[in-house]
Amino acid sequence: MIESFASVQQVLLGGVLLWAAVVKLRNPGAAHRTALKRLVGERRVVAAYRAVSCAELVLGALLVAPPAVAVEAYLGAALGVGMLGYLAYAKIKAPESSCGCLGDKETPVRTRGFLRAGVMVVAGVLAAFGTAWWPAAVVDRPLATVGLLVAEAALVVALSPELDHRWLLPLRRWRVRLSHPLASRTGVIPLESSVQQLRKSGAFRSVTDQLRSDLLDSWEEGEWRILTYAARTDNGTGTGTGTGRATAVFAVPLLDYRPDDVRVALVPEADEVLTSS
Amino acid sequence: MDSLGRRKFLSKAVLGTAAVTTVVGASSLGSFAPEAAAAQHSASAGEVDPNFVEGRVISAQKGMLVVTSTDKSMHRIHLTGATSVWKLRPTTLDAAKVGDGLYARGVRMPDGTLAADAVWLNIVNLTVHITSIGRNMMHLDHRGDRIVGHVIAGTTAAVYNSTPAVSDLSLLQVGKHAQVIGAWRPDTNEVDLATVYAAA
Repeated sequence: MIESFASVQQVLLGGVLLWAAVVKLRNPGAAHRTALKRLVGERRVVAAYRAVSCAELVLGALLVAPPAVAVEAYLGAALGVGMLGYLAYAKIKAPESSCGCLGDKETPVRTRGFLRAGVMVVAGVLAAFGTAWWPAAVVDRPLATVGLLVAEAALVVALSPELDHRWLLPLRRWRVRLSHPLASRTGVIPLESSVQQLRKSGAFRSVTDQLRSDLLDSWEEGEWRILTYAARTDNGTGTGTGTGRATAVFAVPLLDYRPDDVRVALVPEADEVLTSS
Repeated sequence: MDSLGRRKFLSKAVLGTAAVTTVVGASSLGSFAPEAAAAQHSASAGEVDPNFVEGRVISAQKGMLVVTSTDKSMHRIHLTGATSVWKLRPTTLDAAKVGDGLYARGVRMPDGTLAADAVWLNIVNLTVHITSIGRNMMHLDHRGDRIVGHVIAGTTAAVYNSTPAVSDLSLLQVGKHAQVIGAWRPDTNEVDLATVYAAA
């Protein structure tokens, strides 16, 4: 039983390597976005990327094809260890560059990449214990081995951020389409909407040079939303009436979009003091 | 004047239900005072603008904030009742806490303090794409960094295709790009969302 499970690791490891090789060979230009650029330099990066993909192609083919030799599996595990080293290098030296492992999607190195490389190492070590070629093991115990392979493949896919756009995003999109989690909002008029309307109004433009602050305060008054700003009046001669400080008060229609109806009043600070006493 | 009385007074001033004060209509103003505007923007190209400060709050006392900027310089910022303070929404002077990030604009006083006209606390402006939507929150991806965006009922607004802001966020979609204005929660990767700009 254990030997059957060990044998089918050949096809998992081989399959992932072949997949990685094909993706790399199809789009060698992606090499420029990987941490490999930092490692071998801009000039040699495409050649190095091709070399890695050729090694993966050969090893993948050897693992999938007969005969089953333990050294293939150890080579696969060694490649996995090398991958872990490369990821660690990328994480430290070029954290924002792409891993370039299993696709040309730009995905910075994160925990999932390390876990996936770890899975490959474990699969390689396990595969070394397989004595038979993998189809024999599948024929021997079809249900258990195929089930295990599917589960492992699902694990590798789940640990591949390059593939998120194929399954994770559509799944989340579908979930949101089913019932939008943010759909049950109450119909309040956001303050931002009133501020937008205010900015489009002639009333605001006419005093914009006198405004000193951003929005100070706001409240609702019937069908209006009142917005206040600190302002400065230049009606005085520079003496008397305080320092020309004032409050600009705007009334913006709350429920409709009517920028032309926006009203403004400039209330000098001195008047506020007078009326309050 | 207490704040409620003041609001009532200002409402009356603008809505004109009682002639209590010098109410200046929009049409009668029209003075664009270019010299006043020029005095405000006194920094020329390449110079540090003396009337602007950015940094983190290291001490917050009544009406006075001490801030260290990213260039390690220290600034004292004076706040008054005429200073607008933004922290997710327009708020009051005492909202500033130690550790908050800050942008302030005002006038530099002879003693070196900045008399602030406007202060924005923890404000961030990010171009992101939405990676998932949950109840009261969204996961956002900002150049590979994950950010948690909290939806604040009654405050978070959405602007779709540059139309007026609405509180309905149900047109936001997973996988789409968006621009968000929000208030960062200091020293976390979390942001309280003020406005989300998206295509719909």
